[in-house]
Amino acid sequence: MVPRVVARKYAAFALLLPPLAFFLVFFVCPLGYLFFVSLHAPSESELYGARLTLANYGAILGDGFYLAIIRRTLLLAAAILALALVLGYATAYLIALLPQRLRLWLLLLLFFPLMVSNVIRAYGWIAILGRRGLVNALLGWLGLSAAPLPLLYGFSAVTLGLMTILLPYMIVSIVNALAAIDRQYEEAARSLGAGPWRTFFRVTLPLSSPGVASGMLLVFLLTLSAYVTVTLLGGPRTKILVSLVYDATTSFEWPRAAALAFVLLVLALAVSAPVFLLRRPDRAELPR
Amino acid sequence: MSRPAAILLVLLAGSAYLLVLGPILIVVASAFSAADFFGFPPSGLSLRWFTSFFATPELRAAFALSLELALVAASTATVCGGLAAYVLARRQGWLASLAQGLFLAPLVFPTIVLGLALLLFYRAIGGVPLFLGLLIAHTVIGSPFAVRAVLASLQALDPRLEEAGRSLGAGPWRSFRLVTLPLIWPGLLSGWTFAFIVSFGELNTALFLTGPGTTTLPIEIFSYLQFQGGQLVIAAASALQVGLILVVVLVVERLVGLTRILRA
Repeated sequence: MVPRVVARKYAAFALLLPPLAFFLVFFVCPLGYLFFVSLHAPSESELYGARLTLANYGAILGDGFYLAIIRRTLLLAAAILALALVLGYATAYLIALLPQRLRLWLLLLLFFPLMVSNVIRAYGWIAILGRRGLVNALLGWLGLSAAPLPLLYGFSAVTLGLMTILLPYMIVSIVNALAAIDRQYEEAARSLGAGPWRTFFRVTLPLSSPGVASGMLLVFLLTLSAYVTVTLLGGPRTKILVSLVYDATTSFEWPRAAALAFVLLVLALAVSAPVFLLRRPDRAELPR
Repeated sequence: MSRPAAILLVLLAGSAYLLVLGPILIVVASAFSAADFFGFPPSGLSLRWFTSFFATPELRAAFALSLELALVAASTATVCGGLAAYVLARRQGWLASLAQGLFLAPLVFPTIVLGLALLLFYRAIGGVPLFLGLLIAHTVIGSPFAVRAVLASLQALDPRLEEAGRSLGAGPWRSFRLVTLPLIWPGLLSGWTFAFIVSFGELNTALFLTGPGTTTLPIEIFSYLQFQGGQLVIAAASALQVGLILVVVLVVERLVGLTRILRA
């Protein structure tokens, strides 16, 4: 007879097998295949040509147009991160001061927008900033401007819209970190003679840094794939890396699209790996 | 806190809430407009855009497809993620954490890359029916939510309860059904809910995997906005989606409570 412990171990693996197989076949394999496609020359009739080559990556990294788009992508992410950090930290700081019940309701009010599809939230910004949008209607009604202002379709519309779409992630991450801080640290700093600003910058901010780091990481990663928001608010001329991935697929340049997707993935990894490695969420250290 | 600092904080937080909630409220409000375009001041209320939404076959079909897809995908994701979490919850070591990382990866993975990868992969294996293709993508994306919710439930569960069940003579399946399942079902439900909501609004993989005749509601809204301008029938479609999510959230709040929604 098989010992019971061994039987239980096999039973556990039998239960793990279906989800594991599913993820290996439909998550890991497609990514491997995507990389494989990115290493081939394009073909007129097939998904990719027969020849193995690094030319797709060379064409992206050696082309001023692609590099400018990558720079713009990073610039957009930086602008969104800076705005979301200031607004998000202030909001989170206030929420963390409130009593438990109220805090939960305010957080739910932030969770709800995250559940609404991004296309609807981008549509909301079109309704506000568009030619017939709220701002222009209001200005016209007040008689402040004769012609509608072109507020939509540009870098700033994308920055504002995408920042507000992703802001709740930042706030929630920081609230979680702030709520976990033992208030006695701050009281100790104050009683040792530190002023409110010094206490904030030397105690509260460093202790909440894991929340800030994970919020910023999440916002950065979601900015990288926000094709629909960027397209709707930026118009055809404000393109970022993800727009090029999609454009390459609509013109059936599969190896080029695959290579662009991998450049995007490397960008995501390059930023997230150090954050994952450096962050020690359970051991935020006090500064000396 | 000093008075000016407090005022600044309240102003920043207030504008954050306004910027986050304002656009959604405006879309929902404009769905009830009586005029052809959203204007200011508003010009009376009507339900005409909802009527025209249900009178437009492609919008109605997209709504039905999204609903069906989200219901099925949330269930497959809960089974997939729930099984993984059940096995991995009490296991340590690098293999277990590697597996856990794999099942949680779609949470932070750029989904646009996954969409393209699946599109190419489906072609390479000779084609997959559109609905099945979307279902697979949404199951991958929804599973981490079930994994997280069920892991949290299992970690809060006292293992002695299961042992007690076993020592009183229940077999593994019976003790799972009578002891573990009733204790983790709130986790399963909140995981299911999140997978449902994510699938219902998902854009980045659907962008690649929908096709003629099989389009989800978010993609249909996107193509309307991109190619036909912001007609208010799209506001009605959006309002319906927001309303459905609100109903789901309120039902789950009644069933398992607020804190659990926030933790998942």
